[in-house]
Amino acid sequence: MAAGGTIRRILLYVDGSEECIAAAQYGIMLAKHVNAELMALYVVNVSMLEELVKAKIFVKIEEMDYEQDLEQDGKRYLNYITELGNSKGVTIKTELTKGVVNRVVAEKITEWDIDLMIMGELEPILSRRDTYHDEAELVFRKAGCSVLVAKDANRIEQIFNALS
Amino acid sequence: MRLTNLLTEEMIAISLNHTDKQGIIEELLDLASKGGHIRDREAALKAVLDREALMSTGLEKGIAVPHAKSQAADDLAVSLGISRDGIDFEAADGQPSHLFFFLLAPEAAAGPNIKVLAQIARLTSDPHFCESLKAASSPGEVMELIRRAEM
Repeated sequence: MAAGGTIRRILLYVDGSEECIAAAQYGIMLAKHVNAELMALYVVNVSMLEELVKAKIFVKIEEMDYEQDLEQDGKRYLNYITELGNSKGVTIKTELTKGVVNRVVAEKITEWDIDLMIMGELEPILSRRDTYHDEAELVFRKAGCSVLVAKDANRIEQIFNALS
Repeated sequence: MRLTNLLTEEMIAISLNHTDKQGIIEELLDLASKGGHIRDREAALKAVLDREALMSTGLEKGIAVPHAKSQAADDLAVSLGISRDGIDFEAADGQPSHLFFFLLAPEAAAGPNIKVLAQIARLTSDPHFCESLKAASSPGEVMELIRRAEM
């Protein structure tokens, strides 16, 4: 974190979930309030696709097709989040990339010198298996910066809509 | 993404009626449609058969995962069918298939679709789980087996 303890750079973790939209709204409000730079990152989960090819559930052409679908999903979400930012006068720098999600996010946090990552509410964890396989859980645990988990999407949306 | 969040007992058949590949696929499709997410049966069937034509979704060790994405689905539609005797599903290892996990996903739901398929891959990698499913005597027992396996 920068000297004086201010939050200079905030990263929005975008994973194509409804929860990440609430996180984006929260991030936009916070960035506006503390005058921070705001980045949004979507990582195409290629390791899961590879897992399905290895299990022979996907054929190669299917892997490529779904990878494109995930990219399109990512672009849609990043575009929507950009519009949300614009609606409140906040510029968001976006990036779409691919790889092992939790690893890429951790690398970007370092590369971009992120002070705070904001992400959507995690799914309930009922077992160690969930911890191992749930990508958002891994992103949360492996982030090298402070993490804010945005909860109560309805309340966040109300406050966001009321913000000028 | 938990299968138990997508399946109900009415989407599970512990003894499939059909013994041919297309009949099995249609039976699984009709089970999946009980979730209310399949809007066009013919389009859905075509999508699944088109995917099957690329390469059989009959895997090894008695598992088959017929799946497709289609505009005929407005949300994930899943079903599970079991055949104790086994059915020739043109599986990769040439053996009969016993456990059929069916999934039809909307075109614009790549993320959730992949997560469900990955979950199926993980669950069926456990031979004890698969044997237990084959021996299940009711859809309720199947649900409980999956619930425990997902914990």
